Amino acid sequence: MSGARAHRSRWLNLGSFAALLLFWFLITAPIGEKPLVPPLFLPSPMSVAQTFMTLLKNGYQGKSLAYHLGISLFRFGLAFALTVAVAVPVGLWMGMNASVKAVLDPPIEITRPMPKLALLPLLIIWFGIGEVAKIVIIVVALFPILSISAMQAVRGVGRRKIQAALALGASRTMIFRRVIFPASLPGIFTSIRVSIGIGVTMLVGAEMIATTAGIAYMAMSASDFLLTNVVIVGVLIMAVLGYALDLVARAIENRVVHWGGKEG
Amino acid sequence: MPEPAASGAAHDSARAKARFEAVSKRFGDGADAVQALEPITLDLAENAFVCLVGPSGCGKSTLLNIMAGFETATTGRALMDGVPVAGPDPKRGVVFQQGALFTWMNVLDNVAFGPLATGKSKAEAARIAAHHVELVGLTSFAKRFPYELSGGMQQRVGIARALANDPEILLMDEPFAALDAQTRELLQEEIKRIWQETKKTVLWITHSIEEAIFLATDIVVMSARPGRIKARFAPRFAASTDPGVVASVEFGRMKAEIFALLREEAIAAQSQEAVR
Repeated sequence: MSGARAHRSRWLNLGSFAALLLFWFLITAPIGEKPLVPPLFLPSPMSVAQTFMTLLKNGYQGKSLAYHLGISLFRFGLAFALTVAVAVPVGLWMGMNASVKAVLDPPIEITRPMPKLALLPLLIIWFGIGEVAKIVIIVVALFPILSISAMQAVRGVGRRKIQAALALGASRTMIFRRVIFPASLPGIFTSIRVSIGIGVTMLVGAEMIATTAGIAYMAMSASDFLLTNVVIVGVLIMAVLGYALDLVARAIENRVVHWGGKEG
Repeated sequence: MPEPAASGAAHDSARAKARFEAVSKRFGDGADAVQALEPITLDLAENAFVCLVGPSGCGKSTLLNIMAGFETATTGRALMDGVPVAGPDPKRGVVFQQGALFTWMNVLDNVAFGPLATGKSKAEAARIAAHHVELVGLTSFAKRFPYELSGGMQQRVGIARALANDPEILLMDEPFAALDAQTRELLQEEIKRIWQETKKTVLWITHSIEEAIFLATDIVVMSARPGRIKARFAPRFAASTDPGVVASVEFGRMKAEIFALLREEAIAAQSQEAVR
């Protein structure tokens, strides 16, 4: 894309964002007697910002905002790291070995289309209302995505690259370590980015049931008291969190798999 | 003019570096089976530069893949130094058309892959790689990645990578097919120089008649599927260093002759496509 056009797109992005904010401002501003939308349904941007500052200072239900955010990040981070550490190697192994694939395919394929949040009541019976059930639900949701895409990444490695390595005298181990694994990385990174969005969704679902801390919990319980301002702060924090995690993943991706999508 | 089978070093089985012995190939089975190759017997003499030309689908690549050890013959066998080919071996270097470079490694690491795979130390592999990168004129691009290079440079990397193992045979499957005409001519001169210096035995597949006449010591013209050897030629330009030989009368005459043969086969190949 040319510089000028990129520049133009950037301005249009900002303009679109500003227009949305202005729209929010206008429908909640006290023009005349009452705002178009009552604050109970949608408070004004200024009042939400004010609530955010208050929460930052006083916390929510005796726990600081950082604590709520921290516990959410901890649940997500631990579950995500666990899943990547297990599902990616399992998927690579399935891609390399037809027997392993034959054994592991049925359980993964059966659970894949199931809406994972439906398992939460069962997981609460099994693991209680502590952290374990929340972490397990995220793992269960992400495992099939990451393992299957790692497997497909292996199977998608160009036959010529493997033949070239064979003709150069590489052993099976060397072909895996220096050809198949790096060649699979772009595909694995794509699925990691997809699973961040899904993982955050599962986190929100898990925090809405049987817990006393976390950003989604804050929004959910504030909703019980019709504290719309707090609900909106919670929603915005989750949105920013999802966006920031994607940015981090993309930055890592660009560094690690700089060759992704380019042929040579 | 087609050479009688007795002449030319390529037929001297005593000095053959490699040999296809009644190799045939059939894909699939039952009613869907396709006979890709009729039994073919062909010797590759030591230091020969053998070009296979023929219409698409005539089994040229299959033949090369069998020698590389990527595919097995349905009947017959491929031999190198009298020993049957049992699988890929670093003694037989392979250069592909494109898409075979290791995209995640820079040029130097691509070329060092073979020496490392065959047990050289890191330092030794790096030294060999640097030498071969220089041989193909890419020293100033040694740290670049394949996607940063032009198509012609990528093919040079592929050639350097195959040469770094010091193979006894080079198997090259249309290595220049995806390149533009100018790049292609320059690389042809370069590969000729490398062949003249290293004296490897080469099996080269091409669609370009000029390329074959310019480079080869032996040209094998194949028929449409099922592939058979239709004619053989022994051009005399492989030893020359003059790119101007393409303008000679002898060159032109041989080109016209092979062109006529291939035209018949291309028409036959097209009617096969129509029947299917």
